[in-house]
Amino acid sequence: MPIPLYGFLQGDTVGLLILAEEAETLQALARKLQAAASLRVEGRDHVQVVYNDKTMDPAMTVTQAGFEALDRFDVVPEQQ
Amino acid sequence: MLSREEWLPLARKLDWDYSYVREDEVFPEVISGKPWLPHSEWKDWEESFKTSYREYVDNQYEKDMAVQAVHDAVGRIENVQKLALPWLNSLKVHAAALSLAEFTGVIGNLRGARFGRDSAWRTMATFGALDEYRHTQIPLLLFHPLVRLDSQFDWAHKFYHTNNWFAVAARHFFDELTVGQNAIEFHIATNVVLETGFTNLQFVGLASLARESSDHMFERMVTSIQTDEARHAQIGHPVLATVMKHDPKYAQYLVDKWFWRNWRLFSILTGLSIDYLTALDQRPYSFKEFMEEWIIDQFLRTLDEFGLEKPWYWDLLIDELDIYHHMIYASAYSYRATLWFNFVIPGPAERKWLRQKYPKYWDDMDAVWEQISERWRTVGPGPANEFAVHGTAMPTFCDLCQLPLSAGTPRKNTARVLVHEGRKYIFCSEPCQWIFLHEPERYASHKDIVKRVLSGEAPSELLKLLTEYFNLTPDTWGKDVHHGDYEWLGVRKDSAA
Repeated sequence: MPIPLYGFLQGDTVGLLILAEEAETLQALARKLQAAASLRVEGRDHVQVVYNDKTMDPAMTVTQAGFEALDRFDVVPEQQ
Repeated sequence: MLSREEWLPLARKLDWDYSYVREDEVFPEVISGKPWLPHSEWKDWEESFKTSYREYVDNQYEKDMAVQAVHDAVGRIENVQKLALPWLNSLKVHAAALSLAEFTGVIGNLRGARFGRDSAWRTMATFGALDEYRHTQIPLLLFHPLVRLDSQFDWAHKFYHTNNWFAVAARHFFDELTVGQNAIEFHIATNVVLETGFTNLQFVGLASLARESSDHMFERMVTSIQTDEARHAQIGHPVLATVMKHDPKYAQYLVDKWFWRNWRLFSILTGLSIDYLTALDQRPYSFKEFMEEWIIDQFLRTLDEFGLEKPWYWDLLIDELDIYHHMIYASAYSYRATLWFNFVIPGPAERKWLRQKYPKYWDDMDAVWEQISERWRTVGPGPANEFAVHGTAMPTFCDLCQLPLSAGTPRKNTARVLVHEGRKYIFCSEPCQWIFLHEPERYASHKDIVKRVLSGEAPSELLKLLTEYFNLTPDTWGKDVHHGDYEWLGVRKDSAA
């Protein structure tokens, strides 16, 4: 069952509804949001997912990260 | 025979003591508003116009004739066809969003005409209702016939009868402001905050843009409407003064709440018209400059006059002057098929002007426009490529203002999630969440567009959402005015073919 999430890509002008799969990694989720916002924001290779003010391990799955329906997550450029 | 000076005060101030019913039954708090006070506290309610019905009718007749004369002279379809395309689309925005919104003002004023706490207030609200009916009919009369020129003008009538996302947001605002409101809150929110605080955006700002755009019909219309607003806006000031005297905390809350709610809607209606839908050489000022000169300074003087404080979110609002309507416009452009008017991309000259007027955040906005432009370069111009330069993922909306989650900046969107009584809500900004938490019973059960889609009330597939839920058609949904065919993009249609 997909989990509806509010995704915010840094550089974008609006939040997007992203349907996440439970077994999907956060890296894949970040790519999904980047693809959804690609009309307005140029893609980047190195990004990270921020959830509840914490930078998340990209290899974690959506379930492991504890994402619940209608939560907010952010995708930001990876810090150097 | 009584002279005017003798009978008018008698007719205007015709209150009496009730013998067979209590005063709070005649004026229940739930519909007259709070604080509930006996009439003795309202008996000095006064306004300066002191108009009789006959004078009102004579005056309105003259004004209607003047509007009709300008319409006859310059309001024909061939005159409208000469207007610049972006400005024509600004007219479609206002034709749809204002006409029937004014009709809700009739309902709010009629509530004041029955449940206002002094007879002079009720008399003035009766004129206010007639005014708002006039403000419904004039734009419908002027704009809807343009459907022969452009089917998007059909939305002058249609807009409020649809579940289009912007109509949902506008209804959420006007239903609370006017249709479902008690007399005290209605008159403070409408007369003091909207008609005194924000009216200059519409009636000074838009009138001067219309003049610069050679749209004398629209200029005359808004100027004529403004003369009514100036009169009936007077109702709210003595209402606010009395509430301030008896419950200053509540007065402050009402002003803070409604200034924010008005800001959200009018920054979109007027901000987009000034900074994007008016030709560059016809823009006398930026939206921010106009806000600072005509709205912010005047509102601060009004607050001072009543002994009110600046709203707690003041610094945030001042910061939003630099960015909010830009975030909305770029988002709306990329979801233009969800609306009933057409858009234009700001080209290099416009972006240079916007950078000069909005240096604080323009770098981030410029990157967005560059990316959108690049998509047009890649796919090439033409109507067939509209959806290749269009968003596909569902945009998201605030659970209070019902507008897109486009607050903050491209670097940091200020949307915030709140769990309230086991249900999850999202708000575009702290003030929207603050308003919700003050009166959750008023807002909690309303579903935004995203939650309607998730619950199956609205279709999730874009084309079905546009046609079956937003009531748009391929003829009426929004497009790029030039279908991406801009000389500065370097891929004009002739060379691309």
